[in-house]
Order: sequence, then structure tokens, then C-alpha cells
Amino acid sequence: MKSHKKAAKASSPWFVIRKELDPNQRIILSCFSFLLPLIIWAVVSYTPFIWHPDVKLQLSADRTDVTTIYSAGDRLSKEFYPSFVEAIQSDNEKILAARESGEVDGSSFSIRRANLKTMRHLTPVAIANGWLSRDEVEDESLYEIWQQLAEGTLEQKSVQLSDENIEIVKRNWALMSDRSEVFNSKLLPETPLEKLVPQGKPSNPSYLPSPHEVVSKGFQDFTAEAEGNNPSLVQRYGHSLRIVFLGFLFAALVGVPLGVICGTFDFFSKLFEPFIDFFRYMPAPAFSTLLVAVFLANDAPKIALVFVGTFFQLVLVVANTTRQLDASLLEAAQTLGASKATQIRRVILPGILPDLFNDLRILLGWAWTWLVIAELIGVKSGLTEFMDTQGRFRNFDSVFPVIILIGVSGFVTDQILSSLRKYLFPWTPESSSKKHGLVGRFTFWLLDRKVYDTPLNGRI
Amino acid sequence: MSDQIVLPSYKEQSPEVSARFKALHQRPVKLKVEGLSKTFHTSKGSVNVLKSIDLDIHRREFVSVIGPSGCGKSTLIRMLAGLETLSDGRFLLNDKEVSGPSADRGMVFQGYTLFPWLTVKKNVMFGLEVNGASGTSVEQEALQWIELVGLARFAEAYPSQLSGGMKQRVAIARALATQPEVLFMDEPFGALDPHTRSQMQAYLLQIWKNVDVTIMFVTHDLDEAIYLSDRILVLKANPGEIHEFIEVPVPRPRTPGQFLSPEFLAVKQHLEELIHPERTDDDEPSDLPLVRMTSAGDNVE
Repeated sequence: MKSHKKAAKASSPWFVIRKELDPNQRIILSCFSFLLPLIIWAVVSYTPFIWHPDVKLQLSADRTDVTTIYSAGDRLSKEFYPSFVEAIQSDNEKILAARESGEVDGSSFSIRRANLKTMRHLTPVAIANGWLSRDEVEDESLYEIWQQLAEGTLEQKSVQLSDENIEIVKRNWALMSDRSEVFNSKLLPETPLEKLVPQGKPSNPSYLPSPHEVVSKGFQDFTAEAEGNNPSLVQRYGHSLRIVFLGFLFAALVGVPLGVICGTFDFFSKLFEPFIDFFRYMPAPAFSTLLVAVFLANDAPKIALVFVGTFFQLVLVVANTTRQLDASLLEAAQTLGASKATQIRRVILPGILPDLFNDLRILLGWAWTWLVIAELIGVKSGLTEFMDTQGRFRNFDSVFPVIILIGVSGFVTDQILSSLRKYLFPWTPESSSKKHGLVGRFTFWLLDRKVYDTPLNGRI
Repeated sequence: MSDQIVLPSYKEQSPEVSARFKALHQRPVKLKVEGLSKTFHTSKGSVNVLKSIDLDIHRREFVSVIGPSGCGKSTLIRMLAGLETLSDGRFLLNDKEVSGPSADRGMVFQGYTLFPWLTVKKNVMFGLEVNGASGTSVEQEALQWIELVGLARFAEAYPSQLSGGMKQRVAIARALATQPEVLFMDEPFGALDPHTRSQMQAYLLQIWKNVDVTIMFVTHDLDEAIYLSDRILVLKANPGEIHEFIEVPVPRPRTPGQFLSPEFLAVKQHLEELIHPERTDDDEPSDLPLVRMTSAGDNVE
């Protein structure tokens, strides 16, 4: 008995040629298909020795005689970073040497101004460590932070200053406190202060932000309010959805009837389809300037682009689906006395409905792929404008959430529609349930009114 | 069986059967076919499928059509049902020339052709509704037809939930619901397993007894043709012409026990001779060459 039970419970093998796995295995693998890319992304992001070709500056400094300015948050290549640090260190040596010999260049005003800059370079560290909040960056409080750092009363959390820098802070504070204990721009030292030596940590290039950066930035972006002419990301999302769905809706409104007619009558098939077949090879973006000229500004040319990108495919696909309908059903209807109009209304339409639904679901996916191009033409708008702007500033941690959002929207819509099938079309083999879906009932009431009007319905 | 049984001639009829045929021929002619021909034009040239077919079929008669494959038996009833155009000739229903498909000539196909999106009941209601009927009476009428084919319990089921035999019964109910003058059946039981098939044959005879309908039934199963029909139309191929129109001498009511009666076997033997004549050409050998592929010493057979 025991051995029998064991045999029944034995897990099914994972690798079998052309055999379906059991449902549990399928679910596990489906989860992994999403987890795997995430895991790879996380591993590359959080394991320094795998890639990390850049150094992300936490603390920067200005080099004398070089106009290129790096600020905290910038990424330098690993090869260049040491020479940058060395350059600042040699600047410091020069400053010390000049101080010793007493040969200081420049007026006391320009030295005070340079010292103010040096002082302010600590700001990113202060913010990262939470000593200052982003909104209240003031020279007075920064001055206090220099004091507290020199006295060692501050706790360094996320960014640890190197010992070298702590020494510099102490030496600088000695000079600063000599002049004044509180900030006063007139009372900054008139001898040049040493520069803080740049610090950074290994990181990936800006185009591959780590998962937590993307999540936190995404959350930040999506919860941000609209500002003036700049709509919030949620509003932008709504705008993009509108363009996709309106473009698709118009394409379906015109394309489905045309496709059904072409699939039903060879006359219309031969009259329309050859040209449509030719037209669909012309890429929709090629018409962008034309569409802007015709439909002018705002959303109209964008919706038109989604339309152009979807419509021609849709007509051909729907026509083909209509032709796939078993012709013997039409013969049966004819021998029951159905006229042409009745055949279309009561046989062709309900007969192709499940496949038509599937076609439209796939074509909605097509419509999504045109969204970005549609939003770029004319006046940029929606999610794409946001991505475009952020991308120019290399804020890819803001771009990724939007890209993912578009993907998720398309995928989720598709999954929902796909799972609706069994409720909408209870007669298809995939639908084991006997219940009519609400939408299905309504559709059939429209198509097949008489059948559903009968008062006896459901009572016998 | 040691000896060859000596069968009577298939033309011998018992007095009852002969009287029945006399009465049958007195009935009005339901379907009159005159010089019907069909030529298909293909890229390889034209093929003459049917050539000058003439027939009279009487009211409530059950006629089977048999013949070798390619003899145009399906084409014949599809033309009569209005699903194929005629190349030549004409046919009359109740002495009136008709053309095109219409509800007065019903059809049952081998592939069931039920509307998968409609329940059994609504499938049967379809024909009534497209002919203008509406209201509660339609539903009740449909339910009566469903009851006639013994599927009352499945009125609300979808075709995909039914077995092949049940689907075909629904198709018969649907075709009969519009009360056609003639019902054409194109190898309706061809896709069913032998057990279901014989059950369906019994059902069909019962239904036919209860309904005033003339049936023209295409089949390639000789037993089925003899068991069901009053007369059997035998066609020959290339071109399709009437070979013989045989009166079946097996008395009614028919039962499966008659399959071994002398009349039945006589008709069957005659049909075999008509459809599968002795081969005269050497195109295909009558037997496969004997080649032993079994291992040596395998003498099981």
C-alpha cells in the first residue's frame, strides 16, 4: 500500500518532450519567468564585483584650472576617478604650500567666495546623512555642521567621511572658527581652505539604476502633485491611456464591420483587401508629419497615428477570422430558410465572436506599441514627454518606472480580457461554466433578441 | 456455415410488401427530378459529376442513395437542397419548380453543423424564428421536437456538451422543426461509432414514422441503406448516372433481427455486385503480395 501511495505522490518530471507540466509546476515556472529577470537585475545592481564600471560621487570638489564640474551624484568611470582624486589632493598641497610661503593669489573677496564654495561642497553628504533636509539648506546650518563634524559630535550614517576628509574638516574649522563661530559671509577665512577630497562608491552606469532606486523614484514620481503646466504622472498616464484606447476604439469601430464584410462577401474582399494589404507595409510613423498637418495639434494626430497603426492589420485579421467560420454552418442556416441578412446577423456575427474577441485583444497590444511614437509627434505629451525629459537629464531611475508601467498596463489588460473569455463565451470548450457572462448575455440579447425575449426562458 | 445459402432474387416480394409498394406509387409525387446534370469546371478541365438524373420520389417515402465514392451522391442531394447550382435540368417540389435553399427542404449534415453558441433549445428554435415565428409558441414547439428526439433533459445544454449521437439528434430535430417537405440527410451517421450508429438508425425510423416527411438519405453503408429505405437509388461513377432504383423487399416494420433475413441478404448481395463489380483491369492487385516480415518460427497465424 505504502509503495502505491508513494508512486502516486511522486513528483512529475520537469523535462518531458512535448508534454504539458502539471498545474503546480506551471505556476512555479510562470512566477520564475518574472522572478528571473528581477533576480538578475538585483544581482548586477547589488554585487559590486560583477560589473559596476563607474564610481558614483557622494562628495565632489572643484578642480582649479579645469572647467568641467562634477557634483555629487555624478558617475565617473573607474579609470578616471583616481586621477580626479589625485588632482584635488595636489590642489590641496598647493594650497598648503602657498599658505606656508604666504604667497596667496587673489583678493580677500575672491578667496572668501572660493571658501564659501568649498564649505558648500559638504551639502550632499549632509543631506544623505540626514543632518539637513533638502528644503532647508542654508549656509548658517551648514556652518554649524562643519563645527559639529570637527568636534566629532555628528553621527555619520549612510555616507562615512574618510579620515583624510575628517582631518581636513578639523583643520578648516580651526581657520573658520578663528574668524567667526557662526556663519557670516563677510567673516569667512581669508586664507584658502583645503578642499574636501572626492569620495564615491562603485556603481553601475546611470542607465542601469538599481531596483530600489527605481521603486523609490517611481513612488516619488507617481505621488508628486501636478505643478502649473506640468501634469502629474497619474494625469499623464490617464492621457496616454486615452490615446491608446481611443485610437484602438476608432480602428475597431471602422475595422470590424469592414473586416466582417470583407470576410463575408468576396466582392468586398477583392475590392478592399489588396490595397489594405499594401498600405499596412507603410509604417505608421512615416505619416506622423502628415497627420499633424491634417489633424493639427493636441491629441487628434496622436489618436490618428494609433488608428493608422492598428486599423489596417485589424481589417485583414478580422476578415480572415470571418473566413475561418465553418461554412457548413451557413449552409445549415440556409436550409433552415435564413436570408443573407439573417445569416450575417445570426450566424456569422455570433459565430466569429470568440475569435473576434481574441483578435481585438491581440490588436490592442499592437495599439500599445504605437503609443510612444504617437506621443512624440506634434506637441509631446503624456508619459512619453516625461520619459523624454527625464531621459535627457539621464534620470533613468525616473524613466524605468514609466516603461514598466506601460508594460504592466498592456499585460494586465490582456490578462483580464483573456480571463473574461470564459464568462463571455460559455459555449466554447474552454469554458466549463454554464453561466452566461453579463456582457455575453447583453451581446446575445442584441444579436439574438428573440431567443432571449421569450418569457419561458429559463423556466423549463 | 458449410454450404452456400441459396438466396431468393432481390426482386421477389411478399404479397404485403408488393401491396405496400403499389400503395406507395399511388401517393402524390413529392419530388420530381428531370434531366439533372452537374459539371464542375476546374483548372484541369471540366468534370461531369452527374449526368441526366430522372427520379420521382413519393410522399413519405424513404429513399437511400448509394454508390461508389465519387459518384456524386452528395452532390445530388446538395443540388436538391439548393446548396449547389444545377448545370442542366430541373426539379419540382409538389409540381412546382424551386431553386435555391429554403426551409421546405431540410438538410442534416455529417458534421452536425449545430450552432455552438446556441443551446439545444435555441438551435431548434433558430429555423422557426428565421421563418418569422415568434412568441412562446416557438419555444414550446421547439421543446416538442426536442422531446421527439429524446433530448428533453438537454434542452439548455450547449452542443459542445453533447455526444456525437445526441448532436445529430438535435440536428434532426432542428431540420424537422421547420416542417420541411423533404429532408435530405448526407451521411448523417458516418462519424458515429457502430453502436451509436445502429441506435440512431432505430431512432430515425421511429421519428420518420411519427412525422410526415419524405427522406432522401445518402450513405455508403449497405446495411444502413437496406434497413432504413423503401427504395435504394444506386448510382455509378464517371459520370454519375442512375445504375438501378431498387425496391427493398424487406417488410416493415423493420427490426435489427431482419439483418439476416433472406430478403435482406439478397438485396445486399445484389448491391455488392452493383457497387463492387468484379475487377477487370489490372491497375490494382486484388491481393497484397505475400511477404513474411515475422521472425522465423512465428507460426501463430
